Amino acid sequence: MKAKIPILFAVSIAIIVLSLVLVKANIVQPIATIFTGSLGDARRISGTIKEMTPLLILGSAVYLALKAGLFNIGAEGQYTVGACFGSLSMIAIGGGIGVAVGCFVGIITGALWALPAGLIKAYRNGHEVITTIMLNAIALLMTKALVAGPFKGPDQFTPSTSMMPVQSRLVPLFTIGNLEIPQSFVVGIVIVLLLAYWLKRNVSGFELKATGANPTAAKFAGVNTKQVTVKAMLMSGGLSGLAGALQVAQFEHRFYDGFATGYGFDALGVALLSGSNPAYLILSSFFFGAMNKGGTALVILGVDKGITTVVLSIVIVMFAAIRYRKKEDIRE
Amino acid sequence: MSFAVSMQNISKRFGMVQALDNVSFEVQAGTIHALVGENGAGKTTLIRALYGAMMPDDGSILIGGKTVKFRNSADAIGHRIGMVSQHYGIIGELTNLENLVLGSEGSAILNKVAMQARATELATSMGFEFDWDAESSTLGPAGGQKLEILKLLWRDSQIMILDEPTAMLSPQDSEALFVSLKQLAEKGATVIVVTHRVAEVFQHCKRVTVLRGGIKIADHNVDDVTPNQLAEEIVGGAVMERPQPVSSSKSSVRLKIDQLSVRGEKGDMAVRNLNLEVKMGQLVGIAGVDGNGQRELFHALIGVTRPISGTFSFDGSQWDSESSRTRITEGLRIIPEDRHEEGIIEDWSLLDSAALGLQRLPAFKNLSKGTKKQAPSMAEMFDTKFGRLSDEIASLSGGNQQRFVAGRALSLDAQLILAFQPARGLDLNSTTKVYNEIRRVCQAGACAIVVSFDLDELLDFCDRIVVMAHGELYEPQTEVARDRAAIGRLMVGAG
Repeated sequence: MKAKIPILFAVSIAIIVLSLVLVKANIVQPIATIFTGSLGDARRISGTIKEMTPLLILGSAVYLALKAGLFNIGAEGQYTVGACFGSLSMIAIGGGIGVAVGCFVGIITGALWALPAGLIKAYRNGHEVITTIMLNAIALLMTKALVAGPFKGPDQFTPSTSMMPVQSRLVPLFTIGNLEIPQSFVVGIVIVLLLAYWLKRNVSGFELKATGANPTAAKFAGVNTKQVTVKAMLMSGGLSGLAGALQVAQFEHRFYDGFATGYGFDALGVALLSGSNPAYLILSSFFFGAMNKGGTALVILGVDKGITTVVLSIVIVMFAAIRYRKKEDIRE
Repeated sequence: MSFAVSMQNISKRFGMVQALDNVSFEVQAGTIHALVGENGAGKTTLIRALYGAMMPDDGSILIGGKTVKFRNSADAIGHRIGMVSQHYGIIGELTNLENLVLGSEGSAILNKVAMQARATELATSMGFEFDWDAESSTLGPAGGQKLEILKLLWRDSQIMILDEPTAMLSPQDSEALFVSLKQLAEKGATVIVVTHRVAEVFQHCKRVTVLRGGIKIADHNVDDVTPNQLAEEIVGGAVMERPQPVSSSKSSVRLKIDQLSVRGEKGDMAVRNLNLEVKMGQLVGIAGVDGNGQRELFHALIGVTRPISGTFSFDGSQWDSESSRTRITEGLRIIPEDRHEEGIIEDWSLLDSAALGLQRLPAFKNLSKGTKKQAPSMAEMFDTKFGRLSDEIASLSGGNQQRFVAGRALSLDAQLILAFQPARGLDLNSTTKVYNEIRRVCQAGACAIVVSFDLDELLDFCDRIVVMAHGELYEPQTEVARDRAAIGRLMVGAG
């Protein structure tokens, strides 16, 4: 079987190339466009980094839950709730303190939004995938209602909060010509590094990994796996909420209906693709960010942006097939 | 002479491991033939080849003088070969009769009357008795074993392979089993018994074949060989002496269990009002047939199951209301029953595995330094063979995993050692080493409880033996405290 895989791979590539040649498709141009569209110049690189930033933080959130054996599909909802409530304090208080309080509120509300899923999983064994999907729907509709009603800015015509005061918005940490490095991007990098360190060196991280890898063995090792499950969900939700709040402070400067555009779901791919090393979150979120950014440039060619989703999906499926293949059992 | 079974020059390789190397194995009709060897010697591989569950790379198999080639077990069954594996295939939800005929019903429409008549006839011929309409979950291990043997008769098996048939039986039931097997052999059946119990070979078998490291070491008439010689052939060198256990118990009680009751998985009362005091220095062996509450008792002591009533304390610390973590901090160490599920995380490195269960101890305050310091000495304690410390623990053989897990449990200031079948997967000498180390730690002031289904092992090493039957503990009278038969009677609840 092993020898057959490269052959199958080569044959399938040959078939794809042949069929593209047959229909006289130009495959070079779209690929080149994705490249130039995402990395062509400093402005576009900045755009890629902007796309990458929420993915980085949300990817960390999903990754952390994944290590505890939890599939947090709810990142999108936690992100939305964090952004919605975080934006209120940022607008109301204003200034640096407003942003700090807003981020704190984002973390708390995001964590609270994940809490029911954690509790239900730990104490009632209800599957977190189901509960987080439900919570996503509630988050989406609840924030929609809030922003159309009580949270709606007096100066707004659409369901949206007011804009943050200009002087309170996060500016890029530094700018070189057209290249902008946002502060929230740096926060994301720091989170990834802290997470990597925590999982590797901290005893709580150790117990979290044990719970995810083999809950029975973890229990025998004296780990309170129920607590770990709740804690992991809280932390994951908190990070997602922070991602939402930072998105408001750095880029969006308000919360509005339709704020969440699927970063929370892309983050699942980001986390899966980074495999066993959290540092790879940086690479995989960059890859997703570049595809998102470059994909928009495809419109000029009349190619649907959705093609990048297809590419990302194929990459994830192939990665999963390689990484999570079952080891051959040679035990007697 | 023509043999009932003749396997010639069988070889089989799994990856890097030569499981069988040019092994020839011949069995005369009408005999009980023992196949002995340590774990990993190739016994299981050899009989799986005979049962068609595995195709050898090389060699030939002759049944009744004719060459056969088995592609699967159905082929082997067609040649009237039957096997009772270690974990038998009785389905608890079916009735005894349904289990008996399962897979060999004979016709599309079941004629219960005819089936029951034949079943009763077979059972009577063996001196067995079964309630055919009862659910098989009501059978004990001995009943299950008997039903498995009837299954072979139901299929007209003439060559019967039994893999460690007495592993789960009390001494009395083992005795009865061999009586049945002898009866079958006298009627002309060929019985192959895979076992690691040397005593059984001498009591019941006619011939014995020794395998070691995938190679056939010897073939004997049992009468021509001494137990010591056989043990040395199995081990491949001198057998470590097992010094008679001396009690090193001091007066002070460390573990005190008071009226403990624990529910089992199915909601039944698995442990009933159990009392036990373990003194400093004691190595207590719990004898008993599997499934009499040993598991649930351990789970309660470890803290993965909450007892429904009763208390237990260690050094005065009320453990029943403390977390597992606290118990571990206070010296609880575990060699768990199911290594794969409870003892290790398969894709973790040996380094990380070293801290599993001990992660809150001061030795692992700095996780990476602690693991680098502790992992090598844990591996060294019982000569665990491994590549690098960064290798996955799953890359180790089962025996080496067990050595590592045992080394881990005994490395860091153990005060109460709970060991469930600690010899599982270990060879004779490693077993002795593990028990000797437990004894050494006990002499230093700790205490230990060992559960084993092998009474001889407990008699060899423990200074006190208690029996667990139907969730209750029985202490044999002082004058029969080391009497095999008396303890055996308690095991089946006939004290």
